[in-house]
Amino acid sequence: MTRDERLVAYADGELSGVELAQFEAELAVDPGLAQAVERHQALAQRLSEAYAPVLDESVPIRLTSAVRQQPATRRGRPQWAAMAACLVVGVAAGIALTRYAGPQPGSITARDGSLVATGRLGTALTTQLASQTGPIKLGLTFRTAAGRYCRTFQSPADQLAGLACREPGGWTLQATARMAPEQPQAEYRTAGSDTPGAVLAAVDSLIAGDPLDAAAERAARDSGWK
Amino acid sequence: MDGFEREIVALLPRLRRFGRVLARDPADADDLVQLAVERGLKRRGQFQPGTRLDSWMFGIMRNAWIDETRFRRRRSAILAPVEDAEHVGHAGDVEAAMAARDVHQAMAALPDDQRIAIGLVLIEGLSYKDAAEVLKLPMGTVASRIVRGRMALMSQLQEFAT
Repeated sequence: MTRDERLVAYADGELSGVELAQFEAELAVDPGLAQAVERHQALAQRLSEAYAPVLDESVPIRLTSAVRQQPATRRGRPQWAAMAACLVVGVAAGIALTRYAGPQPGSITARDGSLVATGRLGTALTTQLASQTGPIKLGLTFRTAAGRYCRTFQSPADQLAGLACREPGGWTLQATARMAPEQPQAEYRTAGSDTPGAVLAAVDSLIAGDPLDAAAERAARDSGWK
Repeated sequence: MDGFEREIVALLPRLRRFGRVLARDPADADDLVQLAVERGLKRRGQFQPGTRLDSWMFGIMRNAWIDETRFRRRRSAILAPVEDAEHVGHAGDVEAAMAARDVHQAMAALPDDQRIAIGLVLIEGLSYKDAAEVLKLPMGTVASRIVRGRMALMSQLQEFAT
């Protein structure tokens, strides 16, 4: 290391062991070196003071809501990713189209080689709006390039989140992922356990354009998803 | 919100501060934070539990910054220069505000790579090792950027002082 490198590393608390001992020995006999260290420490102090006030500013709501994944308004950026992530928070890692069906019987039925949402899940997909609450929560509604409607959902009771698309035979599941049970205040779950990867990836691969807004969602429902 | 999201929210003030290091304009800085938060949440499965979430987010922000600046260059769009920015903080007294402004100007004059290294280590308090991980560079490279950045700041700020 050059003299400057050692000096700076010392000021940043990065020297240790022999290097530190050597440097401190030099420092003891070289007033010029000691002054240089002080200047570097003063510089660090000055930098940190100059940027510290940012920490006291109130954080803009658009940033906190970006974390809460409410649709935020960012110029010209698609919001579906954040919105979709909202739906599947706490979702366990899943593979596209797992055959997992939760404890509630009758939510998903195999039909003609695909999995169709039935029972109250099927009803919710057909009738419920994202703004309405219930045992099933609806998230994003969007259209595919072929014009099919697709919707993401969460069913906490079934520990299930997923994406279903409207087909003549009903709501066909495109992806599902198991939701982890609530773990309040827990440490991060293991890597990937929170990843809504399967559902997100499915949305990503199917969506054409932007997701429907509330009015368009209602209109689509009222016209029977045709 | 789950634990991961709460941690991100708790980090927002620091992400905003690092944003000011990258993009001098406060609105650009917050745009960058927002972009990084969105990317971070989307890629949360890639976060290794037990590692530093702040470092991970700084890395995402820095990459987002590079993407944005490349995009701007490609489009040849002109990024409005911030003249005499006094945007940092509601500093109580004029003297502190002016001292801060001098620092921001000196930082803005640094090359990106030095400014980012300085921001991570001197402002965000990361060790050289952690900064090297964020930047995916050898520690020695980070150390030499810090030295060059510090020297440049030192001479810039001395000019202001006299």
